[in-house]
Amino acid sequence: MEGSKLKAARLLEQMSAHLATDAGKEIANKVGFVYQLNISPKKMGVDEEIFVVDLKKGAVSTGKYEGTPDASFTFTDDDFLAIASGKLNPQMAFIRGKLKIKGSISAAQKFTPDIFPKPAKL
Amino acid sequence: MGTRHLITGQNNCAPDGGSSSNPFGTLANTLLGQSSKAESLKGLPGASVNVPTTSDYSTAPLSTLPGSENEFKQDQRPFARGADFIRGGPANDWVESFRPPGHSAFGGPEANFAEFEQIYNNAGPTLGPALDGPPQRVLSGVLHSFLSSGRAGVPFQPVPVPALGLSEGDKQCIRDRSCIMARHILADQPEEYIQAQVNTLLHSLDIDNNHRMKNPLHGPYPEMEEYWNQSQSALRSGPMHNAANNWITEFGNQNNNPEGWITEFGKQNNNPEGWITEFGKQNNNPAGWAHSFEQQYGPNGWASEFEQHQSQMAMGQMGGANMANLAAMQQSRMLAETLSSNNDPKFQNSKFFQFVSKMSRGELIIEDNQVKQGSASQSSGWADEFQTQHNANANSWADQFVHEELSQGADNWVSEFSSEQNQGGLNEKWVDEFSKLKVDDWAEEFSGGAFGESSADPWADEFQSQLSASKSSGASRGVYVFSEMNPYVGHPNPMQEGQELFRKGLLSEAALALEAEVLKNPDNAEGWRLLGATHAENDDDQQAIAAMLRAQEANPTNLEVLLSLGVSHTNELEQGEALRYLSRWLQNHPKYGGIVPPHQTDSPYGPDVVRLFNEAAQMSPEDADVHIVLGVLYNLSREYDKAIASFKTALQLKPQDYSLWNKLGATQANSIQSADAVLAYQQALDLKPNYVRAWANMGISYANQGLYEDSIRYYVRAVSMNPKADNAWQYLRISLGNASRSDMIAACDSRNLDVLQKEFPL
Repeated sequence: MEGSKLKAARLLEQMSAHLATDAGKEIANKVGFVYQLNISPKKMGVDEEIFVVDLKKGAVSTGKYEGTPDASFTFTDDDFLAIASGKLNPQMAFIRGKLKIKGSISAAQKFTPDIFPKPAKL
Repeated sequence: MGTRHLITGQNNCAPDGGSSSNPFGTLANTLLGQSSKAESLKGLPGASVNVPTTSDYSTAPLSTLPGSENEFKQDQRPFARGADFIRGGPANDWVESFRPPGHSAFGGPEANFAEFEQIYNNAGPTLGPALDGPPQRVLSGVLHSFLSSGRAGVPFQPVPVPALGLSEGDKQCIRDRSCIMARHILADQPEEYIQAQVNTLLHSLDIDNNHRMKNPLHGPYPEMEEYWNQSQSALRSGPMHNAANNWITEFGNQNNNPEGWITEFGKQNNNPEGWITEFGKQNNNPAGWAHSFEQQYGPNGWASEFEQHQSQMAMGQMGGANMANLAAMQQSRMLAETLSSNNDPKFQNSKFFQFVSKMSRGELIIEDNQVKQGSASQSSGWADEFQTQHNANANSWADQFVHEELSQGADNWVSEFSSEQNQGGLNEKWVDEFSKLKVDDWAEEFSGGAFGESSADPWADEFQSQLSASKSSGASRGVYVFSEMNPYVGHPNPMQEGQELFRKGLLSEAALALEAEVLKNPDNAEGWRLLGATHAENDDDQQAIAAMLRAQEANPTNLEVLLSLGVSHTNELEQGEALRYLSRWLQNHPKYGGIVPPHQTDSPYGPDVVRLFNEAAQMSPEDADVHIVLGVLYNLSREYDKAIASFKTALQLKPQDYSLWNKLGATQANSIQSADAVLAYQQALDLKPNYVRAWANMGISYANQGLYEDSIRYYVRAVSMNPKADNAWQYLRISLGNASRSDMIAACDSRNLDVLQKEFPL
């Protein structure tokens, strides 16, 4: 995640640290799915970077998941941030074509702002 | 005036506030095609802008568009009008309006009133109205005694009234208007009392009040209701009412549950997991949506069915009144598009452009020479969601949709719904508008089933391009968005006032005063800088960035501005921009500028910048500012321990700097030391109790520790200090869900601070 210029990478770094805390572990236990995120800087599908949020193990990593993730999402950097911060409802994003979903729907439904830490502001 | 219009259902307000020779008026007339009205739009920007808040006459005078006071005369009499209204002028109109057409040639309202007085006197001590005579007179009598009991402050006595033979439409009308009227004349009474009074009145008129009970006075969407009531007066009768009313009620109910419509959708499909599962089940992938759509309607089914519906429908009787506004909106939308292609930020921020773009968004409508606040700006619920996504650009689909719906009012929705019962009336403009919106592309898209894999999916592309187009227009990133109502416009010295308010910690007020200042003096770098700082403390980085960019334009080398831009971009996770501004800080520093090698690129390399700053810190270890910038830089590179050390060093030099305490806290929070962070935030708040950012950060710390109940209290404090703090609202909503307090989500969505503050005191 170091080299990535995506804002998503910054948030996911924080998430990685957060998953090590008690509150983070609780979230991972509650959700227990593996999500693969395909995030593009501006336009969906272009210059995609892939991240895996593994809430079975409580870890975040880069690159494709080895195996089948419970659900994978495709969106742009801005839309991902909007979803993670609660600005954009995932269902709405899906309807409006800003989010593509593959995989289990019940896993996808647990992909909500609740699982992301909130960055504090300087 | 808005209220008067609401009550009477007529556009009989006299134009006011107009100065006679206004070139804008002529221009707007030409542009907006309102020339069918005999009067010209004399008072365009100066005319008073009405907000349809109903009972609040105390907040006189609502100011106009930013800056207009200086140039145009303003209506100075809102108070007088309010009083006049209470005294009962329009009350007669109110009674008047209950008469079906044809009976209105009854004599002037005053004559009627005298007549009623006479009736009262004859009726003896009971003050009862005449119980015989034509139904009109009986009705008027009852309503008048209701009014006078309200004014006298005594409860309304129910009176036996003979059967009046009122039609459903009349009843509906009476029901709606008595509720509104009662709210005004009994404004100082508790809600239950008003309800009881209205019930008594309706009961004596043998009107079933059930609809009202389902659709309470202070529903979550009062604007919607008002609009609805307004549209009622246009409809008056017709069997469509009940169905439509139920629909509105349903709309209201569902909005109590913010995801209601989705749930509802799910329910209709008899599938508890909702729509998404429904699609999934059919095809096990999202393309199912497209397929099922296709199955039902055929490839072009949706579009053609839609158009079919439309063509069946005649020009609606209620469309007429809104047609002019719609036309005006279309015109101004085109104008706004043309204007927005001009990228000059000064122009983008200009009053005229803002005015036109508001027109185009339906936030302002022109009615009888008055600029009014349209309902679009009051949109709530899902409409809001659409709108915030799009940040009000002039051209996107969702926007268009929202505007059509809301500025056209409930009418179209109603007709759309009732058209299923073969009762319709929709103006064709809307149809045209809709078919222009690439409905065909949609249909094609659906038949192509492109919801699945293809990455070059044209629908998404279309969307993307529209979105990016929107970013270059009006309310986009980096362009400052001014408040709509600013009481400080026209203030003799808004700069001083703003500084004073900022010092006192009244941040939202300070922002208004400073906005007034920079409207007056757009090149006042310090005004823009302080405005930016105010927004940063108010937890709005987008506006902070926009203001700081203007400050930087006016003074490109101001160090505080460069640091603020660096900090705000860091908060927005925009690493590249942040680094650029922080590196410019060093270049422009009189003392350290020399250590920066010449020919700096515009995308500096982080570690290089850090190295230079460390050199600077060695040159003068007593300079707190260098340590502050270093702290921010280490935040960017996620070296939180070093960042914390830098901020702590700076704090030893500047222990009274509340924003520095907040920076320390935020760094600790982001490095998973939330407990320490809370202590640092507390220091900041001791120094500056109204520091919204620190309150919001406090909430974040608790939320990240899983202490959702606590986080809610801090978020509520933050949003009650700055109701425009969108981030805090979103986080509040998330915490409410996590704390199993879904019961308060409706209050959060409707931004009902009173309820939230009562429920979550700090």
